[in-house]
Amino acid sequence: MRLLTHNLLSSHVRGVGPRGFPLRLQATEVRINPVEFNPDFIARMIPKVEWAALLEAADTLHLIEVPKEPIQGYERNEEFLRKMHHVLLEVEVLEGTLQCPESGRLFPISRGIPNMLLSDEETET
Amino acid sequence: MDHAAAQLEKQHVHDVYESTAPYFSDLQSKAWPRVRQFLQEQKPGSLIADIGCGTGKYLRVNSQVYTMGCDYCAPLVEIARSRGCEVMVCDNLNLPFRDQRFDAIISIGVIHHFSTKQRRIRAIKEMARILVPGGQLMIYVWAMEQKNRHFEKQDVLVPWNKALCPQPLSEAGQPGRGRGPPQHPPCSACRCSDCFEGRRGSKRSHSVDCDTVLAGACCANTAEEGEEENGFYSTLGKSFRSWFSSRSLDESTLRKQVEKVRPLKNTGSWANGTISIQPSRHSSFDLGHPETSSTGEQNADEEVFVEPSQGPLEWLRAPTTRKQLNGDHPGVMRRNGGGNFLGGTNAKENCVDEDNVEEGTAPGSKLWRRVSAADSTDSNPGDAIPVEEQQPDALDSRAFMRYYHVFREGELCGLLKESVSELHILSSGNDHGNWCVIAEKRESCD
Repeated sequence: MRLLTHNLLSSHVRGVGPRGFPLRLQATEVRINPVEFNPDFIARMIPKVEWAALLEAADTLHLIEVPKEPIQGYERNEEFLRKMHHVLLEVEVLEGTLQCPESGRLFPISRGIPNMLLSDEETET
Repeated sequence: MDHAAAQLEKQHVHDVYESTAPYFSDLQSKAWPRVRQFLQEQKPGSLIADIGCGTGKYLRVNSQVYTMGCDYCAPLVEIARSRGCEVMVCDNLNLPFRDQRFDAIISIGVIHHFSTKQRRIRAIKEMARILVPGGQLMIYVWAMEQKNRHFEKQDVLVPWNKALCPQPLSEAGQPGRGRGPPQHPPCSACRCSDCFEGRRGSKRSHSVDCDTVLAGACCANTAEEGEEENGFYSTLGKSFRSWFSSRSLDESTLRKQVEKVRPLKNTGSWANGTISIQPSRHSSFDLGHPETSSTGEQNADEEVFVEPSQGPLEWLRAPTTRKQLNGDHPGVMRRNGGGNFLGGTNAKENCVDEDNVEEGTAPGSKLWRRVSAADSTDSNPGDAIPVEEQQPDALDSRAFMRYYHVFREGELCGLLKESVSELHILSSGNDHGNWCVIAEKRESCD
């Protein structure tokens, strides 16, 4: 699971609503995968990122040098874009958990795949 | 009702895909051209979700976008991940995403696996929820109206016997077209992408349904018009172009059925009580008369697959005269030097949709015991085939029957208009036996 994915995920435990985001990340195994740098792609992703959630997740993973926010003129700032590229796409959580901040429910990540399935009781309306 | 629906889907969708996932192969995964085109037309930097991604054949079509694959079936998701895709396991009915995240979403051969109208609506609404205003959703569902098959009901169970799946692609040999019987004859693609139809070409109007017991008659549900009979199939004996009827879980239909149904003695498995054999109107086809395809057929097949149009996404007309363009699937699967289909732009590439091309077929009738008279109201009892006691093999086959609600023309659009007002239909049509829709999330409808 990459951090860009984490940025999109939310707990859908019944009753939690918007308080299900962001999921608290815990990682026991992380891998760095080199990914081809596409500045245009990253520049377009920046506006879609929930920055606070990203910082929180990056902090958990002890990633250093994560920009605190998009800097002015980031579209043309290669250094900034490269850092974001690394954080969003090259860091992969292989084993760990995602925790719903509201309900505490844990979702496992194994072999890089988050399992977001809920039991019937948790989803029954 | 929802619990019964979930149970049916567990038994005849999720468990089947989970059990058959090992038989999927990357090489067999082909993408529908129009779906590929839809993905390729998305703006660079878009966030895209493939809900029901299976082995992930659409996840790498466009390298300029970020595509997330989601599927209920963990083994399939594992396969997708092994291809380097970003994937997760989740439920279409409860998508673990915040509102308005995705620029585009595809749902290819998924909605037809939901067994009630309410669940189908819910699945679509969930996708609409996570779509940004102005974002587009593409949906493909299997059509009831098929050129070479006749579904008498909309709720069907399609058998699939894993014992009949061929060896991995590298061992299976080229799809046969007028060739001698391969050891493991390919069968047309159903969900099992490892199986592919090698019997093509003849203009016969009967499909060949494989007897599930006999080895090599892979994926019995995908026989289709135009299959040639090679020597192998001559050993199969009689078979029927048929499918299994499933009880509809939609309330209105259920009420009708309940009034006439005798109490079921065997209430073990839910599906047990709803299966009856529905022979098609076509008479049974004796496989003792193999035919070979003409080369003309072969060429005609290739014509079907041209480079995706550069223009706006257009729907294929529902197939009329071309036998190859039948409602089952677009054509035989070919290996173009073993290359990954998704990467290529081979004009001759054939797409076999592993999701949407299934046809209901039944194994040799002798193997099946008519379990219940429950559906007799929906069929002519005279059509029912008296059968002997179930063989153990038959039980195995039944374990891999997949549930489908096949859609009538206009049903998908009707569903959106009636129940998903946040989506505005941009275009709709028929693509190789699938009803398809592209819809857009209305701006600020909240």
